[in-house]
Amino acid sequence: MADPFDPARYVPMAASALGLPLAEEDMPEVIGAFAVLARVANVVMSFPLPEEVIAAAVFSPDDGKAP
Amino acid sequence: MIKGVRSTADAVRAGDCSALEVLHEAFDAIVAQNGRINAFTAITRERAEQAAAAVDSARAAGRDPGPLAGVPFAVKNLYDVAGLPTIAGSRIDRAPAVRDAALVRKLTAAGAVLVGALNMDEYAFGFSTENSHFGATRNPHHPTRIAGGSSGGSAAAVAASMASLTLGSDTNGSVRVPATLCGVFGLKPTYGRLSRAGLRLFSASLDHAGAFCRSAEDVALAYDALQGPDPEDPACARRPAEPVLPALARGLDDLRIGVAGGYFTSQGEPEVFAAVESAAAALGATRRVELPAAGVARCAAMVITSVEGAELHLPDLIARSAEFDPKTRPRFLAGALAPGAWYAHAQRFRRWYCHALQEVFREIDVILAPSTPYPAFPIGQATMEIGGQIVPAAGHLGVFTQPISFAGLPVVAAPVAQAGPLPLGVQIIAAPWREDLVLRVAAAGEALGVFRSPCPVSMEDAAYA
Repeated sequence: MADPFDPARYVPMAASALGLPLAEEDMPEVIGAFAVLARVANVVMSFPLPEEVIAAAVFSPDDGKAP
Repeated sequence: MIKGVRSTADAVRAGDCSALEVLHEAFDAIVAQNGRINAFTAITRERAEQAAAAVDSARAAGRDPGPLAGVPFAVKNLYDVAGLPTIAGSRIDRAPAVRDAALVRKLTAAGAVLVGALNMDEYAFGFSTENSHFGATRNPHHPTRIAGGSSGGSAAAVAASMASLTLGSDTNGSVRVPATLCGVFGLKPTYGRLSRAGLRLFSASLDHAGAFCRSAEDVALAYDALQGPDPEDPACARRPAEPVLPALARGLDDLRIGVAGGYFTSQGEPEVFAAVESAAAALGATRRVELPAAGVARCAAMVITSVEGAELHLPDLIARSAEFDPKTRPRFLAGALAPGAWYAHAQRFRRWYCHALQEVFREIDVILAPSTPYPAFPIGQATMEIGGQIVPAAGHLGVFTQPISFAGLPVVAAPVAQAGPLPLGVQIIAAPWREDLVLRVAAAGEALGVFRSPCPVSMEDAAYA
């Protein structure tokens, strides 16, 4: 089945949602870079993870300082 | 030619030469070499003269001038240096830093003398140091070729003997790649080992500070001065310094050393795998080790890096993207547009992967893997053909380093002696917090003659005859 995702359509729309102006001359390279990112992200997303796997954030509400 | 860390510190501490004499030799080397190599973006002459004079007067007064007395060092220009703008390879205005980065303060306190700041890929987003604003850093072994990146200036400055020690940073391979291509030793410690306070970060989840020298012992000496907890960096581990120098020469005796198989045996030039095999043979490494889902780890590292890097620079990407280096701009802009689920899944995968690697280290102490997939390519080359596939020449340089840093493991990139006409290297990898093991193996390999930092041929004649 063909991949229905089209970076050429997604990139201008997502940039607009973020208020990120994209110069016309940058567009082909940004679309190309996003297509690469989407391809590697697809590899990550295809790796099944049970919801019990929790990310190891370094966030600490008191920045680790003793009271 | 300037000496290494150990020999310089020993000579200054013994009074065989002064820190000022060493400093002037370093400046002579910089004047002779930097026009050709383009490693330095700033020289800190005045402050260096003062620091060297302070080392000399400490010794004259009978005080300990420090374990790194008089050692000339330089830092990637994303480290804060008081009085200099921390440009991180960018042309976008930046006010001068008000104080030094934590690691610069530590080296200075140990008696080392800062001589300048070094070129890099813009905001560390690259593997080649082909910086459009400041020019490419050239490889001292072959000046029409890249030095590697993103800490290219750091590796080239040490390879060309313009500094005995340099600091860089490694997110996906930015210490190990240039160390390998320039034929020097590069240490990327465990994630969280060294403070990043006062560094302009690229991707905080993955950024590590690291060091470059011409020998394993020099790296160990510098690393011992750099360690220690720092509440100013939330990722810096709250563990005391664990000096590696005392056990550095213990040799290989009881170590179980394996060679990374599977993923780490393709996607590179044959000479790279031959270099790994020659190191493995010399070190008695006969086992094969599989690192589970290494390819997924590389992809997840790319997702996290892209998203975090873009977020840090989002205000500038919105307001002034034209001022970014054309080499990084499309990738930063693309990263800004990534859906959130990609990032969150990549972060969850990271923890799964670290747990899987912990299992691997039950059976093995040290893993050898290739460092880069090929030696330095000519500056300006865009693509490379590997096994019939066309890959981006710079982007593919991280194929073997990314799965290792993604797990935060300590690594020494060690240059393999006589690997070919251009330097090549291996990654020496251990379990988290076992920098002692990777440096021990690096030192043992050096003693066996399998690892060696070569002197650039061009420098053996001309300036130093």
